[in-house]
Amino acid sequence: MDAFGMGLVAALGALATISGASEDIDSDIGSQSNPNSQVQLAAQVGNPHRIYNKAIAGEPPSNALWCACSGIVAYMLIEGYHMPALFAIAAGASFAALVDGVMATSAYFGRSASQSRFNQWIYLDIVRYTTTSIMAHVWITAFCLTTVAYIQNYVLTPHHPFPLPVIALIWGITVGAIGSSVGDIHYGGEREFQWRLFGQGLNTMLSGQIVRKAEAGLRNTIDNAWFCAKFGGPCTGLGMGLTVFLDNWRTTVFDPVTQAPYAIAMGVIFVILMNVYNFYLELSARKKYGPYPGYKGDIAA
Amino acid sequence: MIFDANTIVYMLEIIAGGLLVSVGVHFVPVGGAPAAMAQATGIGTGTVTLAAGSGLTGLLSAGLMMSVTHNIWPIIATGAVGSMIMMDATMLTGDFIYSYAVGCPYASAKVNYDPITGWSQPPYVAPGTVGQGIPTVCFVTGTIGALLGGVGGAMIYYPCVLITNNPAESSMFALGIFFVHSVLPSWNIQGTIEGFHDPKFKKWPAAFKASLVAGILLAFMAVLIAPIGGS
Repeated sequence: MDAFGMGLVAALGALATISGASEDIDSDIGSQSNPNSQVQLAAQVGNPHRIYNKAIAGEPPSNALWCACSGIVAYMLIEGYHMPALFAIAAGASFAALVDGVMATSAYFGRSASQSRFNQWIYLDIVRYTTTSIMAHVWITAFCLTTVAYIQNYVLTPHHPFPLPVIALIWGITVGAIGSSVGDIHYGGEREFQWRLFGQGLNTMLSGQIVRKAEAGLRNTIDNAWFCAKFGGPCTGLGMGLTVFLDNWRTTVFDPVTQAPYAIAMGVIFVILMNVYNFYLELSARKKYGPYPGYKGDIAA
Repeated sequence: MIFDANTIVYMLEIIAGGLLVSVGVHFVPVGGAPAAMAQATGIGTGTVTLAAGSGLTGLLSAGLMMSVTHNIWPIIATGAVGSMIMMDATMLTGDFIYSYAVGCPYASAKVNYDPITGWSQPPYVAPGTVGQGIPTVCFVTGTIGALLGGVGGAMIYYPCVLITNNPAESSMFALGIFFVHSVLPSWNIQGTIEGFHDPKFKKWPAAFKASLVAGILLAFMAVLIAPIGGS
């Protein structure tokens, strides 16, 4: 362990945290998240809307695509043209953002056009200003994760044996999985979906009944980003940051060549701590919120 | 290439790794899109998504370990730990949102009492939903699922590297095999499962058999095709 290695691991954690947050907000602006099933259903139950809809791929494969695109361009520029890493990664991320722009635009047109029989319109102003917001967030995600892959591959010792694009691809899948698991819950708690009692999930009977109007004017997905950036994005970032930081921390503090058992034991300790923390969270949530008032069953709370 | 006893061992490792992934996916508490709106217990995403996310994080850790040693045990153990860290970090931060943003207690709708803590569940299930959040039993079963997925991923990657001597190609091949084995159990799971206490868990032998067949085919491909691109 050296100070430089620890600094790099801290940088990895910070970059991963930012990438997680931007990934979640990107998927919320594009409504690529799991709650999008409601948006998909909305027009069919008589609620045409102005929500952007780019959910033609799950978050992990699409993020894997963008990070792999970014990683491949960066790898080519670094290895083939000996460009400075920072510029190469920025160029790669820009390419990834363009690929995302193409996918998002075609997805929105396709999704909305397929629902024209339910009076769903295509709003060109939504395409104009929402697509660029999505692309900007994808740029941040791709830049951060390609930098993580670059550090793991070229700088951190021991160097990771996988090539830069493969590491970027795997981190892309991971950030998509975390964004889809963590950030989506907050997006699903947004006013767009939750307009009944606070403190419970959406009743299945209300599927497709999304909120389309704000205090002034019609809602769109930029409103979702405003809400999700407060907690869903940071939480996703925390999940991704924890994953990257803890996993790399244990193999940096303990040399994998001579101290592999310690590195593994440290990881097991992290896992046990997280299990215990979740137990505490469940206990405190049960105490603070209590059982639901309408419960009529025999089992005592 | 030479088809000897080692080759058979490699094939067995790939098959066993795939079976572990396949069984491990059943342990992961996924609630799909309903869980993302606190309508169902589990993690608010798809089966393959989560299994792949955690297993491939384990694969990265295993790959790093394999670059410094060829002893199988630390490679498998570090793969499992990497996978468990990703899964637990995801479930924990997900529960932050259930607690602090959605504002609901965690409850399973499949059992009356949590098998681990013994706490009652139905009074805490919101009306019109099938549970919400990730209660202790789901968290533990998710950790077990990640453990099996991480071990499986590392067991698939290990022989691939020994066959090809090329970590880049082996990682892509292992990634592909991993996806096959995480997709097959999805037919059993049909969108949502809560873990080992869910009645759907009993269907795991069907996915086991399917993965065995797929694993044998993939193991043959691994030993026959993979070396072509190797160094």
